Amino acid sequence: CKLGQSVFLCCLYTFPSLSRLFYRYRDLAPQLVPLSYIDKPDVKLPYELIGSMAELKDNPFRQRIAEVFSEDGEGNMTLDDFLDMFSVLSEMAPRDLKAYYAFKIYDFNNDDYICKSDLEKTVNKLTRNELTLEEVCLVCDKVIDEADQDNDGRLSVEDFQHMIARAPDFLSTFHIRI
Amino acid sequence: THTLTTSEKDNCRNQYLGTCLIFRDALFLINSGDDNGDLNADSNDPEQIFQNIQFQKEIMANIRCRPWPMRQKLRALRQAKEIVLKYEGRLTRTRGYQAAGAELWKKFVRLAYNFMVIFIPWEMRIKKIESHFGSGVASYFIFLRWLFGINIVLTIMTGAFVVLPELLAGAPFGSTISKTIPKEQFASAQDLDTIWSLGGYLQYSVLFYGYYGRDRKIGKAGYRLPLAYFLVGMAVFAYSFIILLKKMAKNSRMSLVSASDENYTFCWRVAVTICLRIIANILVLLSLAGSIYIIYFVVDRSQKLEHTKKELTLWEKNEVSVVVSLITMIAPSAFELVAALEMYHPRTTLRFQLARVLVLYLGNLYSLIIALLDKVDSMSIAVTNSSTSNWIDSTTFLATRTLPEEDNLSTTVPDIRIKGNSTLTLEKSHAQNYTIPVVLVNKTTSYPYNMQSQKDQCWETYVGQEMLKLSIIDMIFTVASILLIDFFRGLFVRYLSDCWCWDLESKFPEYGEFKIAENVLHLVYNQGMIWMGAFFSPCLPAFNVLKLIGLMYLRSWAVLTCNVPHQQVFRASRSNNFYLAMLLFMLFLCMLPTIFAIARYKPSLSCGPFSGQEKIYDIVSETIKADFPVWFNTVINYISSPVVVLPALLLLFMLIYYLQSIARSLKFTNRQLRMQIQTERTEDKKKVVHIAVASIQNLEGNDKRPEQENDLTNQESSARSSTPRKNGSVLNFESPVTKGSRILTISQSVPQADVARPANITPMTPTPLTPTPSVPSIQNVVHGSTSELCKTKPYTPLTFKKHVEDVHSEPLFRRGIQQVNPDTFGAGAPAFVGRKVPTTRYFIVNEHESRKKLLRSTSRLPRHFRMEESGNIVELYPRSVRRYVVRTPHRTYSPHFSEEEEEEEELRKDLINRSYRPRSLSDLRPGPRFYIGERVDSQILRGKDLVKMHYKSWDDGFELEQDRPPHSHKKSHMKHVALDQPYPEHHVKPKSKRNLEQSLTESDSISIGSSSDQQTSSNDQYIQVIHSKEKYLKSGAKFTRKKPKTTVDRNMSESNELICSNV
Repeated sequence: CKLGQSVFLCCLYTFPSLSRLFYRYRDLAPQLVPLSYIDKPDVKLPYELIGSMAELKDNPFRQRIAEVFSEDGEGNMTLDDFLDMFSVLSEMAPRDLKAYYAFKIYDFNNDDYICKSDLEKTVNKLTRNELTLEEVCLVCDKVIDEADQDNDGRLSVEDFQHMIARAPDFLSTFHIRI
Repeated sequence: THTLTTSEKDNCRNQYLGTCLIFRDALFLINSGDDNGDLNADSNDPEQIFQNIQFQKEIMANIRCRPWPMRQKLRALRQAKEIVLKYEGRLTRTRGYQAAGAELWKKFVRLAYNFMVIFIPWEMRIKKIESHFGSGVASYFIFLRWLFGINIVLTIMTGAFVVLPELLAGAPFGSTISKTIPKEQFASAQDLDTIWSLGGYLQYSVLFYGYYGRDRKIGKAGYRLPLAYFLVGMAVFAYSFIILLKKMAKNSRMSLVSASDENYTFCWRVAVTICLRIIANILVLLSLAGSIYIIYFVVDRSQKLEHTKKELTLWEKNEVSVVVSLITMIAPSAFELVAALEMYHPRTTLRFQLARVLVLYLGNLYSLIIALLDKVDSMSIAVTNSSTSNWIDSTTFLATRTLPEEDNLSTTVPDIRIKGNSTLTLEKSHAQNYTIPVVLVNKTTSYPYNMQSQKDQCWETYVGQEMLKLSIIDMIFTVASILLIDFFRGLFVRYLSDCWCWDLESKFPEYGEFKIAENVLHLVYNQGMIWMGAFFSPCLPAFNVLKLIGLMYLRSWAVLTCNVPHQQVFRASRSNNFYLAMLLFMLFLCMLPTIFAIARYKPSLSCGPFSGQEKIYDIVSETIKADFPVWFNTVINYISSPVVVLPALLLLFMLIYYLQSIARSLKFTNRQLRMQIQTERTEDKKKVVHIAVASIQNLEGNDKRPEQENDLTNQESSARSSTPRKNGSVLNFESPVTKGSRILTISQSVPQADVARPANITPMTPTPLTPTPSVPSIQNVVHGSTSELCKTKPYTPLTFKKHVEDVHSEPLFRRGIQQVNPDTFGAGAPAFVGRKVPTTRYFIVNEHESRKKLLRSTSRLPRHFRMEESGNIVELYPRSVRRYVVRTPHRTYSPHFSEEEEEEEELRKDLINRSYRPRSLSDLRPGPRFYIGERVDSQILRGKDLVKMHYKSWDDGFELEQDRPPHSHKKSHMKHVALDQPYPEHHVKPKSKRNLEQSLTESDSISIGSSSDQQTSSNDQYIQVIHSKEKYLKSGAKFTRKKPKTTVDRNMSESNELICSNV
């Protein structure tokens, strides 16, 4: 893996896992991704490939995750984006870093607030559309009611962090093992 | 993957106290990235360089934990490295070495940790599964691995202290009766059939209790094997208990930390269908009872079969285990079907399912062990007095049998360890309790037979064999079920779905799901079997280790190849302690029969380490008696006497009670604290808002500073804006004296530390007209109002943010801002300079208001805006706020203002209320200011031309007063004021309709304010009075409803005004 030391220093990964990650990335499209990254090729894998990874395949938020971590915001990922994503989703990432990205993932409309529509989307994705509309509304209302600190009817980053600080298994659930 | 070392984690955590920090970091770095070169180029101060290097190193250390894209991280890292490389040489070497040493150590620790991780078994496999199936399925494998660890320790314990010594130092195979295969069985000892049923060579091996010698000491060193056997047997339980409790305590500690998360849970509505549930429960109970009955029946039948039949078929030999395994396999699925009837919430279903399956497994094990012990019972009851050759048969139906047959039976049946009939126990005492009708068969004994039967009656071996057999059969069934239910079904569904009449993959058979609950319970059950049999078969843990390894590979393979993720997503981490609790429960219940057997039954006479003793545990007292000094013996005697035991017991009870009461009080405190937290959460909300405000203002400050300074320089006015202060210290702002006009300093204490706010400058011109005594009162007022502002802070940030958005998103407004800032300074400062009297009056009005308002803590935001505005729109505002607030009136009159914009505003509902009111009020503002001076004029004016009048009069007054104190920089002020001046003209001239609208909005907002909240909007009312007073002259009927009250207000305030103006 010719990624160089600097990339290694920027990820929350050890060297072996980093190289494993690289090969995972490369296996998605062996014909596209070169073996050496020394001359910094500009390769981007489309979301279809990223989303078809076994680790992401069953994740209801896979598209959103890819969007958040990709630089172009459409889920097409360079190797850097890819490493970034799994670095944040690894179990070594600190809670606040995870929370920051979790917030971004749940903020579907990118307005820096988790508003009710975001929550509805989240709930629907989590429950695979098994809840009725009223139930979803109830859940969203309750969540906002419980987590909204400044009573503006939506969750800001601070609200979210505050809530995450109290969620015990956030760390264990907000990660993807690879 | 591996976790960071703790220090690294701490670093990261410290770095990330909040997102605000992250933002700031990002900003800072971007900034520093831009001007790094300059910064370093001109700074030669070593300390500064060192700090810079430290900072860069910090960046390098924490770069992993920053929420930046990789590219940015790389850039930052490269920069930091360059700087460090470039400048480190300038510093002393030692510092660098120290840092490098620390860095090296850190790296080493991490490397060592990474190395350690490699040795965690199946880590990668589990991770792979977890990545595919989520943490729920992974928790099963982690649990399996944990059990594997326990079993390893158990194996080592038994292996090192029991099995190995016996193998190495014990009497060799064939040396004693208990270690030789009987001649009759020797021929078939190697048959697969025999081996399969654990007879023959296996029976006479270290696998089972019966093989171990009874010599008190073995080998040259005198190893006390029997004692070791007993102690290890007990230690197995003790270790399991300790490790389980430790794990549970750890888990619950972890969950205790997060106990407050109950704040964030809420209940699910549960569809209640009671009728169905009752049926379901009945069904479950029936199946439970049925399974227990079947097991008992099977054990009983096997017993009978052994008695009646000469040759047992393979099926008959393994009947018990097979039936038990079948039940454990089938029943859970049946329960699942039943559970579908109930329609509980998935989590509840899972709990119920787990509980039911657990009960089933326990019932199975218990009915099995009870049946076995029953057999043992009958075995030990079957007594023979060999000396008198009295054969006592415990079973009645065998009494009719003739001896030759019996002989025959015992010789022909190879593995006749069945005792009921052929067990002949030399009876020492006839006082043994036998309840079964006993038939004495007088008989002349046959001779080798006696010896043999003695050997065969080893009930411990029998129990051990049964448990091992059960374990093996269970394993086979597990493998079979995995292959059948998962693998072949998967194959079937996968390859036949194309040519089937319905969709196999989505309809009936589907792919198998990984049933976490059942599988975990199966593990628990399996472990229970081990605990139950470990005493009688020391190699059982070793076997279990092998079994678990096999299970791990097979399961993980099956999961990855032919299972689909579970439909119901549930939180595995919560269930972890649940698993452990079940395991603990199982351990306790499995220990009971063993302990019971040890305590209740006499050890077999002819086999095992305890043969010849009355009770198994006698070995301990015997050892103490024989091998310890006398004093120790007496001490033990004393200790075990009731004199000591009873008080000790009492003490224990007391201790338990005491601890329990402590626990209860702690729980109470816990609840109290939680309630306190609950109540403080509301406080918390406010605090969070404060932080938010602070962070926003920080950001604002960064953006805004240059702008403002530009404005100031443009303005060339010496009246400086105050710098925003974060820590609410008393801020004294001394402004330079500017040509005749002196700007007084208003000291202001800002009570909230985290709210960044500028000082309120109140420029005062101590011209002869303004008396000095009025200044203190002003200050008071300022204090009052600011404290109020702070009180209302929690509600403000929303608007701030909105404004921020507006400012940044709409270039249209940006221009407005550019104008606004000069506006504030131009209009604000000189206006005050020019019109001293109105200013003074203003504050007093404000004081009047604020005194009222202080009484109400729960006043809402917009009103405060208004109040402040009416009081002193520019100066009283925190810097960032002022910007927006000021903008609003400006925008109202700006030439850009159009119908479109108004519509756009109407879209943003939140803004409407807030922007309208200030606007209208700012309109009003000049009114009262000017009221005294131009009273007559304004009264003359008609209501329709009201606004126009205001601006006109305002302008007039302004110019009037401007004339009096001649300022050198009057021009510049005027220029900025001139920006304001177009408003009225613009406003009035093109369309008088605008005026109408304006007044309409005024009255609207006023009526809103007054009708919605009469009390809090007294300020409005006051202003309204001023304003509407003129209206009253023409159209007074409009506000007749509020007339009495408002007039009173007006009178009051008017008198205030008058006083002031008089002064």
